[in-house]
Amino acid sequence: MNYNWDWGVFFKSTGVGQEIYLDWFVSGLGWTIAVALVAWIIALILGAVLGVMRTVPNRLVAGIATAYVELFRNVPLLVQLFIWYFLVPDYLPEGLQTWFKQDLSPATSAYVSVVVCLGLFTAARVCEQVRTGIQALPRGQAYAGLAVGFNLVQVYRHVLLPQAFRIIIPPLTSEFLNVFKNSSVASLIGLMELLAQTRQTAEFSANIFEAFTLATLIYFVLNMSLMVFMGWVERRVRVPGLMVGGK
Amino acid sequence: MSAMISIQNVNKWYGDFQVLTDCSTQVAKGEVVVVCGPSGSGKSTLIKCVNALEPFQKGEIIVDGISVGAPKTNLPKLRARVGMVFQHFELFPHLTITDNLTIAQTKVLGRSKEEAMEKGLMYLDRVGLKAHAHKHPGQLSGGQQQRVAIARALAMDPVAMLFDEPTSALDPEMINEVLDVMTELAQEGMTMMCVTHEMGFARRVAHRVIFMDKGHIVEDCDKESFFGSPRSERAQQFLSKILQH
Amino acid sequence: MDFSQIVPALPALMEGMVVTLKLLVMAVLGGVVLGTFIALGRLSSNAFLSGLAKAYVNYFRSIPLLLVIIWFYLAVPMLLNWITGDFVPVGAFASCLVAFMMFEAAYYAEIVRAGIQAISRGQVNAAYALGMTYGQAMRLVILPQAFRKMLPLLLQQSIILFQDTSLVYAVGLMDFLNSARSRGDILGQPHEFLIFAGAVYFVISYCASYIVKRLQKRLVV
Repeated sequence: MNYNWDWGVFFKSTGVGQEIYLDWFVSGLGWTIAVALVAWIIALILGAVLGVMRTVPNRLVAGIATAYVELFRNVPLLVQLFIWYFLVPDYLPEGLQTWFKQDLSPATSAYVSVVVCLGLFTAARVCEQVRTGIQALPRGQAYAGLAVGFNLVQVYRHVLLPQAFRIIIPPLTSEFLNVFKNSSVASLIGLMELLAQTRQTAEFSANIFEAFTLATLIYFVLNMSLMVFMGWVERRVRVPGLMVGGK
Repeated sequence: MSAMISIQNVNKWYGDFQVLTDCSTQVAKGEVVVVCGPSGSGKSTLIKCVNALEPFQKGEIIVDGISVGAPKTNLPKLRARVGMVFQHFELFPHLTITDNLTIAQTKVLGRSKEEAMEKGLMYLDRVGLKAHAHKHPGQLSGGQQQRVAIARALAMDPVAMLFDEPTSALDPEMINEVLDVMTELAQEGMTMMCVTHEMGFARRVAHRVIFMDKGHIVEDCDKESFFGSPRSERAQQFLSKILQH
Repeated sequence: MDFSQIVPALPALMEGMVVTLKLLVMAVLGGVVLGTFIALGRLSSNAFLSGLAKAYVNYFRSIPLLLVIIWFYLAVPMLLNWITGDFVPVGAFASCLVAFMMFEAAYYAEIVRAGIQAISRGQVNAAYALGMTYGQAMRLVILPQAFRKMLPLLLQQSIILFQDTSLVYAVGLMDFLNSARSRGDILGQPHEFLIFAGAVYFVISYCASYIVKRLQKRLVV
């Protein structure tokens, strides 16, 4: 069989409107970033709350957070996505259901599902990192916070969390990268993010290798930029004289 | 003299293990009491009970007229009135020295930033570290960190100070700079309860010495009689061991 | 919800589970073996070899698994076509297996590398002092110790892989999730079958994680 190598394919017309294949990649990348960033914000906030819950001296509160983590870590991401996209909307209250199924465009409803799914899924992982970070701190820090008159909320806010987050920046970075990679499951419920556009380009143009090589490159560059960004964050919050990750 | 800290029949268990048994003593206003004893004797636990960092199951502790064990006591408020200095300093490593000195003043006492800063810097100056105000704790030596920790506690205008082995994590050459600050504080009339092995400090500064062993208060007397003629055999052994150095 | 239809569908779901487990076991074995060689490459003093191994690991760690699955599904038949000259039907299972093996090898390689590095340098020297070759030292002395230490991590990664096998849905392979979904659609009970599939994944992953945790404690003591 003859394979027609053609690296110029990205500038050729897709046959759909005025678009060239590169336009598809650009719009795909846009969706990927839009999914990952919003999901990451949800994961960070919820994960921090859950991580704190796992360390408080209250069995019920800690138990709820533990149950959350076990549930979201032991069910495959794709199953969770199907549940959020196919199942949950049917059990929403009447008004919300019509809004989700009829008022939203298919792309928007897929987007909402995948952002919620990925946010809650990643929160379980962030939770475990936050918990590890808090538990890595010397016990005396919590004592000292209480001794100066802080209540429990203030101890977490001013003493424990600022230190814990600094310790866990490296593992958080890899979770941050995972959100971008995991957002590719959105292609399986029809959201035209980067991977879906790649597959479509491969199938439309028959230039499989070029399409997937470009996608790989984009993911690669995306990874590198995120790592550079997180490295910058780490340097910005670095505390002089404090060995991060030590102790 | 009225009692600033009153400890009455305090008992504490970790599970089945009893760490404190019927501990009773008092610290009067302006009094300096040194608590000593072998490791594991419960002295650190006892002092942590005073500001409720450790809960106790039986007995009562009253600080400045407030019951520590009572369920309706506002513990943050109580702790804000009692200064505590820890073995490992426990400055907040992510904050600068000035932030360490001011954060509790603003967030707990509700003081303005300016007022807190003024007070914090005044005490920092008193412990001789004003030049280090903008550094982080990790950039200071152990002795310097402990002096900042004392300033942090003093900036809250405490009615009493608790010291939990303040010099035992320090290199020998740094112990005196911390003890000097503590001595000065005692001479100004601060009420102090100090868990420490520094018998020289106890001899010079303390009014009373408490000796603990296996969760019991074995000796509780003025320092002259403690160093002159301790009644219990355990205290005699402890003293002879520690004074050999 | 009405779960009564699930019982008669069990044989079909079981078939799907067999596909999932077959894929899992073969991918784990292949991935660990390939990953071990890559780890040895990364630790090699040969700059070219270690650079190549590092590039392999970085490459697969920066792209989504789903991309690899789809790419291989489209590309493997084509590659075989070039090599053999005529059309060889490979099917989704084979292309998925290759994708998982190569992708997971990058993750296993990092675990194995850390495991080998945790063995003290003295063990290598002792093995060399006894006259062993590099291959013997690795095979007889270093790797057996390293594998014992990293067994929990390898198993944890394999539990993640077990969940990730569900991604073969993308290329239509009839694994456990896909057969549950198609049964559910045919019988008009997609919700029930989806919940059931999720529950099965949960129970297996949860129990496996629990066992790994126990194992980890026993290995530490």
